[in-house]
Amino acid sequence: MSWFWRLFSRKRMDIELDKELRFHIEAQVADKMRSGIPENEARRLARLEFGGIDQIKESCRQSRGTAWLESLLQDVGYGLRQLRKSPGFTLTAVLTLALGIGANAAIFTLVNAVLLRDLPVVDPKSLVRLGNWADCCQNSGPKQDGNYSMFSTETYEQLKRNTPEFEELAAMQAGFENRPVVVRRDAGQDAAIPRMGEFVSGNYFGMFGLRPAKGRLISASDDVAGAPLVAVMSYSTWKNVYSGDDSVVGSTFWMNTKPVTVIGVAPEGFYGDRMSSTPPDFYLPIATVPNQMGGKGFRDPTQNWLDIIGRVKPGVALVPLQEKLSGELKRIYAKDPHFSAADIAKAHLVLSAGGAGTQSMQHSYASNLKLLMWIAGLVLMIACANIANLLMVRGMQRKTEMSVRTALGAMRTRIVRQLLTESVLLAGIGGVTALAVSYGGARMLLMLAFPGDQHLPISARPSFEVLGFAICMAFATGVMFGVAPALIAAKASPADALRSGTRTTVGGASLVQRGLVVFQAALSVVLLVGAGLFSQSLGKLQHTDMELQSKNRYIVHINAQAAGYKDDQVNALYRTLEERFHAIPGVVNVGVSTFTPMEGNDDGYGVHLIGQPDIHIEATNIIVNPEYFNSVGTRVLMGRGINVHDTATSPHVAVVNQDFVHALFKPGENPIGRSFVADEDSSKPYVIVGVVAGTSYTDVRRNGKRPMYFGPLAQPSEVGYAGAIVIQTSHPTTDMEEIARRTLMGINSNLAIQKFETFDAQIAGRFTHERMLSTLMLLFGGLALLLATLGLYGVTAYSVVRRTSEIGIRMALGANRNFVVAMILRSAIVQTLFGLAIGIPVAFYGATLVRSQLYGLTTVSGSVLWVAVGMLLAAACVAGAIPALRAASVDPVRALRME
Amino acid sequence: MKKENKFDLPQGTLDLLIMRVVSLGPIHGYAIAQRIQQMSREALQVQQGSLYPALHRLEYKKLLMAKWQATETGREAKFYELTARGRAFLKDETENWKRLTDVVGLILKGTLEGVS
Repeated sequence: MSWFWRLFSRKRMDIELDKELRFHIEAQVADKMRSGIPENEARRLARLEFGGIDQIKESCRQSRGTAWLESLLQDVGYGLRQLRKSPGFTLTAVLTLALGIGANAAIFTLVNAVLLRDLPVVDPKSLVRLGNWADCCQNSGPKQDGNYSMFSTETYEQLKRNTPEFEELAAMQAGFENRPVVVRRDAGQDAAIPRMGEFVSGNYFGMFGLRPAKGRLISASDDVAGAPLVAVMSYSTWKNVYSGDDSVVGSTFWMNTKPVTVIGVAPEGFYGDRMSSTPPDFYLPIATVPNQMGGKGFRDPTQNWLDIIGRVKPGVALVPLQEKLSGELKRIYAKDPHFSAADIAKAHLVLSAGGAGTQSMQHSYASNLKLLMWIAGLVLMIACANIANLLMVRGMQRKTEMSVRTALGAMRTRIVRQLLTESVLLAGIGGVTALAVSYGGARMLLMLAFPGDQHLPISARPSFEVLGFAICMAFATGVMFGVAPALIAAKASPADALRSGTRTTVGGASLVQRGLVVFQAALSVVLLVGAGLFSQSLGKLQHTDMELQSKNRYIVHINAQAAGYKDDQVNALYRTLEERFHAIPGVVNVGVSTFTPMEGNDDGYGVHLIGQPDIHIEATNIIVNPEYFNSVGTRVLMGRGINVHDTATSPHVAVVNQDFVHALFKPGENPIGRSFVADEDSSKPYVIVGVVAGTSYTDVRRNGKRPMYFGPLAQPSEVGYAGAIVIQTSHPTTDMEEIARRTLMGINSNLAIQKFETFDAQIAGRFTHERMLSTLMLLFGGLALLLATLGLYGVTAYSVVRRTSEIGIRMALGANRNFVVAMILRSAIVQTLFGLAIGIPVAFYGATLVRSQLYGLTTVSGSVLWVAVGMLLAAACVAGAIPALRAASVDPVRALRME
Repeated sequence: MKKENKFDLPQGTLDLLIMRVVSLGPIHGYAIAQRIQQMSREALQVQQGSLYPALHRLEYKKLLMAKWQATETGREAKFYELTARGRAFLKDETENWKRLTDVVGLILKGTLEGVS
């Protein structure tokens, strides 16, 4: 009989065992009767001699090999029944575990995906990036600190020539403004669609060691001037946009109005050289830039726009390599007239790990994710404390049950094992639920962190590590907090436990339980204060005066160079745009500019006043049309704004902002009529004709600190083409996007909308980080409060049950209901106060740790503290009041009789 | 409980005794206990608490097999008998036992006089 069979014939085996032992007793009785003892007496003696029949049966079962499995199944079955019997307990425990572990697993999923993941390329460990910070998108000139991370095409080529330490050194576009290419499948009638295109060097795919999914990838021969125009499509674009159509490879696409042959599809899962919410749809060779991007900037040999990543040869030491590269960089910059001797001396680059690509997202999210991990850890601790409390309460409630079972012959090990099975079972259910919570949570986090992005190469699906992490957490919690009550229960001497019954006059809940509640209260006050701080910080950020008007304003981004416009055509385009958009009913102002407020981009140049070459500042340059200042709500404070008389033939003028004036002029000095020179083109000085308010452009934190100068759109400038149209209407226009699309199509079918947003949405987009943090802190704070309240309620309710008879006696002796309510409530409140006493100093300390992530706050403000304390106390009152009222409704007679 | 074992049986000896008794022919639990008592001239009394777990263990190890059959009084009882494996096991273990007791006896010989 196999053990498997035995297992399922357990019932029959039990019957046989019973029959066998019964036969033994009967035989004994028969023997005794034969020796003359009367039947009753014989039976009694036989029973006595035989001993505990159930213990013998249990030993027999033990000696069968299947006992462990049998009892495990039995324990699981029994455990499930027990859990079903107390749905309140089960639900609380499972929810607590699920939320605590789920929150952690969700955060861990993101940390894993964003911070720890390498690019899906061959041997990512041997990749090295030149530079250690994320510079974007395009700039030139010396850096203040001399640390360079973004390079020009010329610099790249020189470095590549002079570094045999690299197997391959590849360059890639460092970042994009909106969508740089418009793509049309054939020269047909369908509208061109804006897509992400990234320019890469010919050895880019080779350096990463990638193989094409279809066709071939870009090679060195594609990346030479005059080579036929080619592109590689990303796998997800091929699958999702062109539904995996094989005929895509080899066919001609129209990109930025030029015919380009798609030579192949990049491998599946490859999302480019950096984690980004806008991974490239097309990879194009750098040499085709002049052909593809008609505009300025890319042509300039000093423009930095490339990230460089290389694969080092085995055994190359990185420190001397870094020295050597910095030396090369100094030599290159020495030839650049914009660099002073000091700039050249400072110039250096720092090598960093290139396995994860350019870690711009990692840089910007690392501190937030780490903070979130801490917070989630705190919530998990609260959850564990709750589970510990629940299981302990349950263990003590079942002391009598355990005593009875011991008295009836259950073995101690068996009882301990059964209690453990129960808590592990609970943990298992919690863990599985936690995975669901984690999936939902990670999705929510992604949505909060990257609103509106479906292309992020991060999946919310928990990875193998996360799965393991969640399960380990669940079981560790279950076993840790299941063992203690199990041992307590097993140690109980049955006689004592049965005798003492449920009467007790002392506290009810143990010191450990109370300690756990105090601990929970302390942690939740810390989290609540944190939540308060972050929402206060967000509020301050959003209500900072950005010195702009956003009501009834819409911002349309276009890409004139992608649509095929040349230098001599854009001015006509700007005028057409102004005319056509003005013709739309309800439009008040039409602003056209390179950048708009709170867009996040800027274009900085070194600037100095004529006659004062020593005071050199960096200032942002934006070129604008006459209606621009009105369209975004920037006030003109002195002189005039840009107007229609500023043309290509009129004097070269600029309007500057207040911060520009503060940086370059002494107080009281009149800036109007003064001239300054910018590095962009030192042969053409600007004459200042007006001063405008310091509208925020990239970040409100930098409000009032960024000097800016605005040149007229109509005058020639080295800045790229204006790509932003600000439309101000007299009343809300819901279908503005469609209207704008039609208007642009009417001008040129290649003018696609790159991005459309209301001004308000654009501003809100700058606060995504802060909003995510504040929302999550509120969520976690609320979660902590909920868990702490549950914990407090559990302990209070438990002590009320334990003290029912005591309360009955007190009431019988004349205590009134108010006294009883006060007595129970007092203990709940006292525990909360202890928690506050510990939590408030910790919260103050915590605030100093996160100060850098807060805006306009240096410490915990009184209002935040009072709200947090008030919420916790209110929660404590609720948690205490329910059991207190139940205690007060105890009928003394029944309470005493109950025993 | 009336009386204890007169001897503390060394670990594993009970199994050997049971198998020896069973080797004489199919026999049920009660009779095994009786037979051991008789054969030891009343010096050994096997407790049910040890006997039945041992029987079940031996059965699980496939040294014994059991079947239900009627006794002379007509009642159904579980009769145990040796399996082929049990027989070989008993033979080996009995030899081991003999060797062990010989060796132990050799060493302990004359001890009683020396001690007293």
